[in-house]
Amino acid sequence: MSEPKKLTVAERLGLVNYRNQGRADARAHIEVDTSICNTTCPHKCTTKVCPAKCYTLDENDQVHFQFEDCIECGTCLYACDQNAVTWKYPHPEEGRGINWSLG
Amino acid sequence: MEEKFDAIIVGGGIAGLSAAMTLARGNARFLLIERGEFCGAKNVSGGVLWGSDLARLVPEYWKEEGGFERFVNHRRLTFMDEGSAFSADFKSNHFDEAPYKGVTVLRAVFDAWLAEKVQEAIDASAHPDESFIATDILVEEILKEDGRVVGIRAGEESFYANCVILAEGVNNLLTRQIGLEGDYVPDDYVAVGVKEVMKLDRARLEDRFQLQGRSGLTNEFVGAGSDGVEGGGFLYTNTDSISIGLVLGLKDLKKKGKTPYDILNGFKAHPSVADMIRDAETVEYSAHVVSTGDIRALPSELFADGVMIVGEAAHLLLNAGKAIQGMDYAMRSGILAAETAMEATKLGDFTSATLSNYRKALEGSYVLKDMRSFQDAVHLLHQEQMFGPIPNMICDFGRQFFTIDSEPTEKASKMLRAAIKRHTSYWDLVKLGLKAGRSL
Repeated sequence: MSEPKKLTVAERLGLVNYRNQGRADARAHIEVDTSICNTTCPHKCTTKVCPAKCYTLDENDQVHFQFEDCIECGTCLYACDQNAVTWKYPHPEEGRGINWSLG
Repeated sequence: MEEKFDAIIVGGGIAGLSAAMTLARGNARFLLIERGEFCGAKNVSGGVLWGSDLARLVPEYWKEEGGFERFVNHRRLTFMDEGSAFSADFKSNHFDEAPYKGVTVLRAVFDAWLAEKVQEAIDASAHPDESFIATDILVEEILKEDGRVVGIRAGEESFYANCVILAEGVNNLLTRQIGLEGDYVPDDYVAVGVKEVMKLDRARLEDRFQLQGRSGLTNEFVGAGSDGVEGGGFLYTNTDSISIGLVLGLKDLKKKGKTPYDILNGFKAHPSVADMIRDAETVEYSAHVVSTGDIRALPSELFADGVMIVGEAAHLLLNAGKAIQGMDYAMRSGILAAETAMEATKLGDFTSATLSNYRKALEGSYVLKDMRSFQDAVHLLHQEQMFGPIPNMICDFGRQFFTIDSEPTEKASKMLRAAIKRHTSYWDLVKLGLKAGRSL
């Protein structure tokens, strides 16, 4: 028996529909003060717990954030205990955000 | 729309739609605002809607087209170690009759259906042109006058009502904005749910899981599937798909430094799980924060002058090991808040004095009664032993007991002693057993 295929996050997010998918200038609904992540934060936990991998670490261990892949799950809203994450809901017309087909 | 509504509902998930349905039936004038393109567009759940409140809201819903996926007549709780699975399995024809005691749902489908039912109720009400479901609108601010909530602002527009029902979900920004919950909610009050919906030909699905018509299976998993992280897995059958996923305690996930998507891959690869999802194709991946049922997460109060908080915005949810109940709590709290709003309309008083009746009603219902009586169980599920040593011990015993190997065999009691010694201790087990005995 073959094991089920291990899906990557990119493959998984490829199945998801976003609002305003074609819009290049979508307004960010989450703002992350990465200067906090990259100086005083002892754990940089969002780079692990975010289910959509919106938070990544570069080769110098610096945290980067992009909102485009965000599926609005709220994990970082609750996970960040360093006051680095400002979480808002995306604007229906100008923002991005998720549009589930099944949910 | 310059007039004042009886109520404004923020959020078109199950809590908000249940409030709306109740208001429509009571001929109230209301505005429900949903930020998604349609009701359900932003919603995720495991998901089983437990209990029978749906029949209260949509009588004989099982005769309707669409809506739920399957009714639950087969439940299984599986303990797993790396290679084994030991299950408690219960199937009964007493679950076969409507109103069902649980139905599986896909929220983008179910909530959209429920919204249609609400619209039908609006159309049949005394004021069909004065109540609205408005989608694609984001509520940014709760408006207050003299300390009491009087309406909402969405972009440039403001809408006013005698009361506002906040049904915004677990990411409860507006509840925080009006100060009923602090800006920082500790990570041990929530978990992260990750899920895939996997398509499987309906006939194959029904054969594989021994389903008939619209009957369905729910299977929860404790042990190796969550890779040592507090939490567990689930597998639910839908009409022609499987919902498979994990709920992982956020605090422990952070502590262990693991990623939810890798744990999900491991869970799917477990031999007992892989056999169930073979040849099924992932069609959607989703994730959402979910409350754990810790009563300390509740807002400081569930109401204030002119406002009531319902559903998971109020962290109303219970996971006491038997089931994750959230959508039924959302439904009941939405109904009770709407009933309170109509009572307030009759009395002409929307201050906390009247709206406190919402909390009283909730305290008298299974929602807060069960949350209160099962707090020990919620905390028991936080114990490290529950998702490592205990499932390992159970599977170790199972492996010994069910292995026939043409050698003289030990008595079961000796096998059990050996399994206990290998994975835990009598003393730990007695302590845990006592706790479990009291809490469940």
